[in-house]
Amino acid sequence: MNHTATIEMETPPAPPDNQVRLPLGVLGFEQIKNYLLLADPAEKPFAWLRVADNASLAFVVIDPFIVLPDYKPDIPQSDVDFLGLKDASDALLLGIVTIHGQNRATMNLKGPIVINRHTQTGKQVIIANAADYSVQHPLPVAAAV
Amino acid sequence: MLILSRKLGESIVIDGRIHVTVMRVDGDVVKLGIAAPSEVPVHRQEVYEEIQRSNQQAMTKQTLPLPKLAEAIAKPATKLDGKSKT
Repeated sequence: MNHTATIEMETPPAPPDNQVRLPLGVLGFEQIKNYLLLADPAEKPFAWLRVADNASLAFVVIDPFIVLPDYKPDIPQSDVDFLGLKDASDALLLGIVTIHGQNRATMNLKGPIVINRHTQTGKQVIIANAADYSVQHPLPVAAAV
Repeated sequence: MLILSRKLGESIVIDGRIHVTVMRVDGDVVKLGIAAPSEVPVHRQEVYEEIQRSNQQAMTKQTLPLPKLAEAIAKPATKLDGKSKT
């Protein structure tokens, strides 16, 4: 037999853009590791972090900085290392939103999801200055008309 | 569980690098000083529990209608584009 076929080492195909892997899950959902980040322009500034293999389970997420421009999460060095963040610009931060009803929504500022944009791997990080922030920071919901 | 008795000012050492010292005892409040390398996260247990509860409350059905945010925040066509202090 003549083995002439070329065997090349291929780099694995990059994951689709909206795929997010959380190897440790999030607190309380440690077993769920694969998510999709879905954004509908009509729902701005919200987006969905949906469980990849269960279309009916999702977190509503928001960029915390658009609500609180002076949010200063202190991300522990262990998490910076875990995520392989070399620069602040590598990180995408998502605040998990809790919808309490049409008139009340809050976001979690103690435990943002920090994603390395390049590897699309993330972690729910308990910020070192968690004591300065709330898990239920109110979002400015527009008054009902 | 390992149970150790310590007096005021005494310490325990974990893994040769994490020092926990009893700084003050005042009734049922014990103040601990923790010296650990920067890569070791130290949090009160309540923070974990609080975030876990919040996550469980936040996990939702995708069909949920989202509230409208106040103009100033809803308006700018902001991408999900975070920055962080690392």
